Amino acid sequence: MTTRRVFAPLKHLGLVLIGFVMLYPVLWMVVSSLRPGDEIFRSPGLVLDGLRTENYSEGWNALTPSFGTYLLNSAVLVLGCIVGNLVSCSMAAYAFARLQFRGKRWWFGIMLGTIMLPIHVIIVPQYVLFSNIGWVNTFLPLIVPKILATDAFFVFLMVQFIRGLPRELDEAARIDGCGHPRIFLQIVLPLMTPALATTTIFTFIWTWNDFFSQLIYLTDPDMYTVPVALRSFVDSTVATSWGSQFAMSVVSLVPIFLAFLIGQRYLVKGIATTGGK
Amino acid sequence: MSALDELRQLRKGGAQVRKGDNRAAFWFLAPWFAGLLLITVGPVLASFALGFTKYNLIQPPRFIGLDNFARVLSDERLHNALRVTFTYVLVSVPLQLACALGVALLLNKGLRGLAFYRSAFYLPSLLGSSVAIAVLWTQVFGTDGLVNRVLGFFGVEGRGWISDPDTALSTLIVLNVWTFGSPMIIFLAGLRQIPEVYYEAAAIDGASRWARFRSITMPLLSPILFFTLVLQIIHAFQSFTQAFVVSGGTGGPSDSTMFYTLYLYQQGFSRFDMGYASALAWFLLLIIAAFTAVNFWAARFWVFYDD
Amino acid sequence: MSRGVRRGAVWAVLLSLTASLAACASGSDAGGDLTSEKVTLRFTWWGADDRHKRTQQVIEMFQRKHPNITVKGEFKEWNGYWDSLATTMAANDAPDVMQMDELYIASYAERGALLDLNEAEKHLDTANFDQKALATGAIGGKQYGLPVGLGMYSIMANLDLLAKYDIPVPDDTKWSWDDLKSIGDQVSKAGGGQVFGVQSPGINDAAGLSIRARQQGKAMFDAEAKVVLPQEIARDYWQYILDLSKSGAAAAPSVTIEKASAGLNQSATATNTAAFGLWWNTQLTALTAASGQKLKLLRLPGETQGPAPGAYYKPSMFWSVSARSKHPAEAAAFVSFLANDEAAAKVLLTERGVPANQKIREAIAGQLKDTDKAAKEYLDTVPVSDPPRITPNGASTLDTILKRHTEDVLFGRTTPDAAAASFIEEVQSEVDAAR
Repeated sequence: MTTRRVFAPLKHLGLVLIGFVMLYPVLWMVVSSLRPGDEIFRSPGLVLDGLRTENYSEGWNALTPSFGTYLLNSAVLVLGCIVGNLVSCSMAAYAFARLQFRGKRWWFGIMLGTIMLPIHVIIVPQYVLFSNIGWVNTFLPLIVPKILATDAFFVFLMVQFIRGLPRELDEAARIDGCGHPRIFLQIVLPLMTPALATTTIFTFIWTWNDFFSQLIYLTDPDMYTVPVALRSFVDSTVATSWGSQFAMSVVSLVPIFLAFLIGQRYLVKGIATTGGK
Repeated sequence: MSALDELRQLRKGGAQVRKGDNRAAFWFLAPWFAGLLLITVGPVLASFALGFTKYNLIQPPRFIGLDNFARVLSDERLHNALRVTFTYVLVSVPLQLACALGVALLLNKGLRGLAFYRSAFYLPSLLGSSVAIAVLWTQVFGTDGLVNRVLGFFGVEGRGWISDPDTALSTLIVLNVWTFGSPMIIFLAGLRQIPEVYYEAAAIDGASRWARFRSITMPLLSPILFFTLVLQIIHAFQSFTQAFVVSGGTGGPSDSTMFYTLYLYQQGFSRFDMGYASALAWFLLLIIAAFTAVNFWAARFWVFYDD
Repeated sequence: MSRGVRRGAVWAVLLSLTASLAACASGSDAGGDLTSEKVTLRFTWWGADDRHKRTQQVIEMFQRKHPNITVKGEFKEWNGYWDSLATTMAANDAPDVMQMDELYIASYAERGALLDLNEAEKHLDTANFDQKALATGAIGGKQYGLPVGLGMYSIMANLDLLAKYDIPVPDDTKWSWDDLKSIGDQVSKAGGGQVFGVQSPGINDAAGLSIRARQQGKAMFDAEAKVVLPQEIARDYWQYILDLSKSGAAAAPSVTIEKASAGLNQSATATNTAAFGLWWNTQLTALTAASGQKLKLLRLPGETQGPAPGAYYKPSMFWSVSARSKHPAEAAAFVSFLANDEAAAKVLLTERGVPANQKIREAIAGQLKDTDKAAKEYLDTVPVSDPPRITPNGASTLDTILKRHTEDVLFGRTTPDAAAASFIEEVQSEVDAAR
C-alpha cells in the first residue's frame, strides 16, 4: 500500500517529464507562432513576452486562395481515402485471413511486395498513366488507389487482427448457416473495431501529411492541400515567413489531433467488451 | 488442467480448405485485384524495364543491358548509403518498437490521465514528416538547442549535433524513436483485443504478472508485434522524408545521413538518371524482400495464430 | 484473361512513356501571330509567399491586357518545384512558362526541353537588356532563358557588431582574402565565443570557388564543358576555409555547417553571430530584416590583386518556355510582359533580384527601400568581368558536391589537396555521364 502511494506520483512525475521532453519541439512551435516573425530565431526558448496573433491572420491570407481552401481540399481527400481504405482493405484482409483459396500465399507475397518499391521510381510511370487518362489535377490519382486496396499496410494490419480473433465465433455462425458476406459484416467487422479505428486514424494522418504525391498530382493552387501549401511558405533561397508557417502548421495540427482524440476512444472497444461469451 | 493449458486447448482449431472459398475470395479480393492490374503492375514493370536503360526523363530510354546493375557493385557512395541505412534500420527499429511496447503496456492499465498521456505521446508522430521538423529538430539538437542548454547547465560543451557527421545519424534515430506513437497505437489496439477472460482465468490460478505477460499477452499480441516488426523494417529501409527535410535534401554532413532512398532519389531527380534509380529500387526490393522472408521464417517460432 | 489485361497495362505505360518522350515538336509556330482564340498558359515558379502574391497580381494584369489568354499560376517551393518539373516533363505535360535556375538551365536545354527564345523574337522584346546579361541565358547561340534579375556575390558586413567591438569597417577597394581573415580573427577574439568573424564560404554554393578561380584568370569550366579548374586553386580555397576554422575566425565546423545550411533566416548573418558573410547582394533586404541590424555590402576581397575582377552578373533566375508548349508565341508574349512591363515591374520590384532589364531597373528606382537601393547601387558600380560559362548539363549537383567536400575538409576526413583532386574528378565524371 505504502509503496504504491510513493510510486504513483513518481510514475506520474516521470511520465510528465518524458512528456515535456517529447513535446518540447511542439511547444516551441506553438510559442514561436505567437512571436513576431523576425524574432523567432533571435530569441530561442519558450518564454513569451506577449501574445501576438498576427502570424495567424497573415498566414491564413498569405497565399491565394486563402488557407481555408487547402484545409477543405485536404478534408475531402482524407475522407475519400478513409472510406476507400476501410472498405477495400477490410475485404481483402478477410479473404487473406479467413478464406482458403488457391495461390493464397503467392498473392499475399505479391501484396507485400508492392510496398517494397520506393515511390520515387514508381511516380514517373504512374504520372504518365494518370496523365494519359486525364486525371492530373484531380483527387482521383490520390483516392482511387485507396479504393482499390493498394495500401498493403492496412490489408496486412487487418489480416493480423482478424487472425487474432477466436475462430469459434465464425465457426458457430457458419454452423448457423451464415455465408461469408454475413460473417464478414456481422461478426468480423464489429470485432475488429480497434483495427478499423487504427486504420482511420493512420489514413487521416498520413494523407493529411503526405507531401510528395499531392505535390506531383495537384497543379492548380485551387486544388492544393495543406502539406503543399505549408511548404509554399518555405524557400531556402529567400526569406521564409516562419511566423506564418508555424501559425498555419499549428492550425493544420488541430484537425489531425482532434481526429486522433476521437479515434482513440474506439480503441477501447472491441472484444474486451463484446467477447465475454 | 491449468488455465493456460485450457487456453491453448481453446485456441486450437484446424484450418480446413472449404469449397466455395475460391469464389468468395475472388469477390472479396476484387478491388485489390483491380488495383493490382490497373494501377500497380504497369508502373512497377515499367520501373523494372527502365532499370536496364539510360533514361534522363526527357529523351527516350536507351537500352544499356546490365550496366546499371554493375554500377551498383562499384558505387562507393552507394555502399556508404547502404551502411548508413543498415545502421539506421538495425538500431532505430528495435528501439522504437521497445519504446512503443513499453509505453503501450504502461498506458493499457487504468492509469489516471490515461487519455492525456496517450495524446501527449502521440502528438510528435503528427509532426514527424512535416517541413517544420527541420527547424524543430534544430531547436533540440542545434547549437542553441535544448540538448546543448541542458549540457551547458552541467558544464559540458555542446556542438551542432545535426551538422556533425559523427552524430547526425544518431539524431535521426532519436527522431524516429520520438515518433513511436504509431506503433504504440497499433499495440494498444492489439492489447484491447485480448479477451479479458484469459487474464481472469490466470488470476484465479494465481499466475504472476510476468507469467501472465509471457503466457497471455505475448502470444496473443504476437501477430500484431510481428506485423509491426515487418512493416517498420520495410518502412525504415525506405526512410526518406526525415533525412531529406533535416539535411535539406543533401544527406549531409559528409553523406552521414545519406539513406538509400535519398541517394536513389538524388540519382533520379537531381542527376536525371532514372535508369540507375530504377535499378537501385529493384536492388533495394531484393534486400527488403530478403529481410521480410527471414522475418516470416522466424515467425513460426514465436508468432501465435488461431488457425 | 487476367494475364492479357496485365500485359496490356504494362505495354500501355511503356508505350505512353516512349510516345510522350518522342513527341518533341511544339504544336504551333513560335514566330506566328498571336491567336485571338481562347488560350490557357500554365506558368510555374518557386519561391515563398511574398513572391506568390506579387506574381499572381502580375498575372491578373496580363490577363486584363490579353482577355483571351488565361494564365494559370502554379507556385511551389524549391525542392518540390524541381521534382514536379522533372515528372511533368517526363509525361510531356510541362507548364508553358517556367522559372529556371542557372544550375539547371543547361541540363533542361540540352535534353531538348526548352524553346530557343530567338524563334519567338517577334513577341519577345529584349532591346533593354545588356548583351552580357543576355549571354548568361544563351547556350551555343540559342537563347534558352531570359534573365530576370541580376545578382552579384558580395561580402555582407554587420556594422552594428563591428561598432560594438570598436573594429573599423575595412576598406573594401583593395582588401585581400588574408585581410578578411585577420579582421575576422579580431572579431572572434572580441566576440568571446558568441560572435565570430566570418561565416565560412564553400557551403551553400560553388560561386565562392568560381570567384577565386576567376580572380586568377582561370575558370571552373571551359566552353566545351570540360572542368579546367586548376587543382591548386581548389586546394588553396579549402585550405583557406580550414584556416578560418582553425584560427577561430569562423565558428566550430558543426556550428558553421548548421548555420550555413539552415537557410537564410537561421544563418550566422541573420542571427548576428558572424560579422562577415558571403552572400548575393540582392539578399541584403531579407538579411537586414532577419538580423534587425545594420548590414553593409562590401566588395569581394582579392578583386584587385589578380589580372581581372572575379565578380560577375549572376542571373538570379530565368524565364524559359517549354519546347513542347502548344502556344509558344503567347508564352513568349507573356514572358515579354513579365520582363518589360513597367506596371508589372512596380509590383514585382526586386523580389526576384535587381531587374536585368536596364530600363525597368531605372523605372522602379524611386520605389525601392534603402536596402534595395544599396543592392542596386552595388550592381551599378562594382566592376565586373565577363560571366562564366553556364553550369553545364550534368553538373546540376555542383553545389552539393562542393558542400560535401567542404564538410569532409572541415571535419578532417580529407585534406584540402585530396578534396581538390576528388572534386575535380567527380564534377568531370558527372558532366561526362550526362552526355
